Amino acid sequence: MSPFYKTLFGDAATIAVTAIVMVTEVVLVAADQAAWAAVVVPAVVLAGTAWLARR
Amino acid sequence: MLDWTIFAPTFLTAAVEWVEAFTIVLAVSLSIGWRAASTAALAALAALAAMTAATGGVLGLGVDIRWLQLTIGIFLLLFGMRWLAKAVARGAGLKALHDEAQEFASTRAQLARGDWTASWLIAFKGVLLEGLEVWLVVVALSLHGRAWISSTAGALAALLVVIAAGLVIRAPLRRVPENAIKFVVGVMITAFGTFWTMEAVGGAAAWPWGDWSLLGLGVFYALGGLALMAALSKRWTAGVAR
Repeated sequence: MSPFYKTLFGDAATIAVTAIVMVTEVVLVAADQAAWAAVVVPAVVLAGTAWLARR
Repeated sequence: MLDWTIFAPTFLTAAVEWVEAFTIVLAVSLSIGWRAASTAALAALAALAAMTAATGGVLGLGVDIRWLQLTIGIFLLLFGMRWLAKAVARGAGLKALHDEAQEFASTRAQLARGDWTASWLIAFKGVLLEGLEVWLVVVALSLHGRAWISSTAGALAALLVVIAAGLVIRAPLRRVPENAIKFVVGVMITAFGTFWTMEAVGGAAAWPWGDWSLLGLGVFYALGGLALMAALSKRWTAGVAR
């Protein structure tokens, strides 16, 4: 990945974690569970950050 | 009137990026002189200013704010989680702390192998790439109440402070506690990213406490990040001892 795209988007792992966060948001909102999303999504973000930090 | 909740995160993010850019320009200046290195830096800053103005124009055309929130929110998550993860990894000792002196030395070594044009391009590219992250944050935080003045002022103030500090110490800026700033900015940017993407997907009612949820997210990520740092640090130490 060129430095330009890496600066804008990050590496593949960061993109994958962000995609998981977005899918979680969309699925929970579509299932009418927005109240849960406000709790679950930050937890998913933190778990993703932990995984990224350990790599 | 400045919005300090926008000014502060922009200032901190921009300061980290400008320090990195300044280190590269400083190394290049030792090879091709201050004047040439400065023209490269100014050319890159002009390109960034043009990008910021163009983005402001597009926003002024009345594009649906939810799509913008979603797009910028995704960028903030990409950017914020990367910074937070790096700061946690460095704080836990899993990665070496970012060393401006090392970056300075590696840029000089790279220059020793190149010619004048290559040196100029290294300074230009360095400022442009570091400035791209500043641009992202300026644009993203401007969406919050259309605070263009506060976010641009934060980025410019950081630039002036870094230039002034750099000219005074005239050496790689080792003393800036980069990891601490990176951690704080990572927390703020990740909180904004989470808040905006959820609001774009689920509407204004997505957050039970409205704008106060942003504060809650910031506290959650800060405490979570510190806990992660401690946990990873213990695990790493145990692994080394074994």
